[in-house]
Amino acid sequence: MVQHEQKGRGLALTLQWKRCVVHKKTVLAAAPVMIGALALSSCSSSKSKPASAGGGGNKPSYTIGFQGPLTGPNAQLGINIDNAVKLAVAQANAKGDLPFTLKVAEADDQGDPAKGPTAAQQLIGNSNVMGVVGPTFSGATKAAQPLFTQANLASVSASATNSSLTDPANGFKTFFRIVPPDSTQGTAAADYMAKALKAKSVYLIDDKSDYGVGLCGNIKTQLTADGVNVVSDSVAAGTNDYSAAATKVANSGTQAMYYCGYYADAAPLAKALKNTPYTGKTLSGDGSNDPKFISLAGSAGEGWQFTCPCLSAAASTDPTTQQFVKDYTASANQPPGTYSPEGFDVANTLITVMKPLGTNVTRGAVVTGLRSVDFKGLTKQIKFQPNGEVTEKSIFVYQVKNGQITEVGTVDKLIAS
Amino acid sequence: MCLSQHFWQFLIPGITLGCLYALIAIGYTLVYGVLQLINFAHSEVFMTGGFAGLFLVQALVTTGVTPHGTESVLYVVLGICCGAIFGGIVAFLLERVAYRPLRRRNAPRLIYLITAIGASLFLFNLAGKLFGRDKVNVPELYTNGVVFTVFGAQVRVQQIIIVCTALGMMLMLDAVVNRTKLGAGIRAVAQDSQTASLMGVNINRVISQTFVIGGLLGGAAGFLFGTYLNVHYQMGFLPGIKAFAAAVLGGIGNIRGAMIGGLLLGIVESLSQSCMSSQWIDVVAFVVLILVLMFRPTGILGQRLGRAA
Repeated sequence: MVQHEQKGRGLALTLQWKRCVVHKKTVLAAAPVMIGALALSSCSSSKSKPASAGGGGNKPSYTIGFQGPLTGPNAQLGINIDNAVKLAVAQANAKGDLPFTLKVAEADDQGDPAKGPTAAQQLIGNSNVMGVVGPTFSGATKAAQPLFTQANLASVSASATNSSLTDPANGFKTFFRIVPPDSTQGTAAADYMAKALKAKSVYLIDDKSDYGVGLCGNIKTQLTADGVNVVSDSVAAGTNDYSAAATKVANSGTQAMYYCGYYADAAPLAKALKNTPYTGKTLSGDGSNDPKFISLAGSAGEGWQFTCPCLSAAASTDPTTQQFVKDYTASANQPPGTYSPEGFDVANTLITVMKPLGTNVTRGAVVTGLRSVDFKGLTKQIKFQPNGEVTEKSIFVYQVKNGQITEVGTVDKLIAS
Repeated sequence: MCLSQHFWQFLIPGITLGCLYALIAIGYTLVYGVLQLINFAHSEVFMTGGFAGLFLVQALVTTGVTPHGTESVLYVVLGICCGAIFGGIVAFLLERVAYRPLRRRNAPRLIYLITAIGASLFLFNLAGKLFGRDKVNVPELYTNGVVFTVFGAQVRVQQIIIVCTALGMMLMLDAVVNRTKLGAGIRAVAQDSQTASLMGVNINRVISQTFVIGGLLGGAAGFLFGTYLNVHYQMGFLPGIKAFAAAVLGGIGNIRGAMIGGLLLGIVESLSQSCMSSQWIDVVAFVVLILVLMFRPTGILGQRLGRAA
């Protein structure tokens, strides 16, 4: 893989060199044009300078890092957060009251645990990065945290929900997250299926990832406590054909099926299930709660329900959130997706912590600041427990209706009603 | 008991998948027959068929509207043809660009293998770059209703289309290889290419034709696979490896062997799911392969393409 990249770089260099040759020829042929071009290029470089200085004074510049999948099969979840971070930073810079200018640095880990440490190292190596939004996926987060802790760089995830991440035994001292963990989501999902959907038996499928196994484990514990019969299966993420797995679900006679995994696999499962006579309710977690699930599954996605610790921006009636939807859509050219509001909140939390530090922002100061932050975000009041867990924890239920993800309500209210 | 309980429910998806494996496996076996080369880039021929069919269907079908009747039949046939044609084109180019220069230089076997892997990496990364790295859903071409029920297992339109198309193409191929002049050429080159060339067979032409035939079947399988699941730039990898295993299982170089091997692999994979957790699905395929090769090292039907299987 590494060799591959180097090869690619070599090729790029050669190409550049070739371009240089072409330029030289152009100079010989038409020197006046070249001078014009030089003037133009110097123009553009002088233009960019005052912009980075933020107009007036020599403001220092700091960077907020983002780590998550920007390519790969589950890229959408990363892109949702990345766009929100860029929006928050652009808005903060435009406001003009910051004692510094902010930039965003992206590190693409493709959501892959194996690539997590490399991506983290990219951000750590950039000494201008004072805080990181992410990583996005639990597996990559777990793999990257030892490095962040070592570098004393705050890593605030908007989406990594694996319960064990905040276990003090791990020693992830600079990790924070603004979403409740899978244990909270798992318990809520189990209670929802047992008490609101009144399922007597439930079929659980995990995708063998840290996230999926953790979430399904939590659901199973709570379902058993609720007196519900549980049938479990595992299908590794990336499996091509879900028809055999779907046949097993259909033969199980359960009233509900919960898939613990991401939309790239939930969608083919939905398609396979539609080809079976299964009549139970079909559910999944926050990893599948994305419009991409609908575009991949087509009509097979209809009726699927998702539990999510996330706030759906599109369904909100709050004016601040509606403004966010407008701004986001304008800047990203797509409506906000799952964890976009959370990503926006994390970026703004970091900015809130950095602002009073003035021109003396250090990585250590940001970590300390996060421990005492109390900030009203779009999604919730952001305040961290000593282990990095956010204090406010509600789980929402969403459902696919007429090709749209719509909010059903919070689990607490749905069980009570 | 776990096997007998829902035997038919698992057998039917198994046959469907097996037919797709068989179609791809034929591509491996044909090329191996004439060149003694494992064309690892064949999985990308399959992927190309999936994308070509997808783009055609996207252009034809209005989003959100499921066509029916003759419209559906037309779209399915067009999709299969489009997938097959583009599969054939890519296979042809692959032979021209990647393998023919090597043949001209009498390159050693290992170089062919590495070239095949290189071509495969190049093609799927190119597809990822051009078409994005997300899975893409193929618009529905028909209402996938239940046609009939066998022993409690539902058989749907999609499964019938896949099985019928695959069987039809395999029968046609069998006839081409055994009854036509083109087939005689392929068999002759497979038996002894030097003698064949002395007898006036244009070897380069026959090899090109063999690649194109394999590409047609692989591309069509790619489209069918896409409608069954999703289209994705790496969609060829796993089915490609499985189909290769199927070709070896049936006896590499043997066309009927590839058909039987593919079908068997699909059925075993699906049936095994009724007894064990779904995470073992990929393990089962290769355990079967190892077991068969332990007792029949040349595969079920043995390695012979030349003697008309």
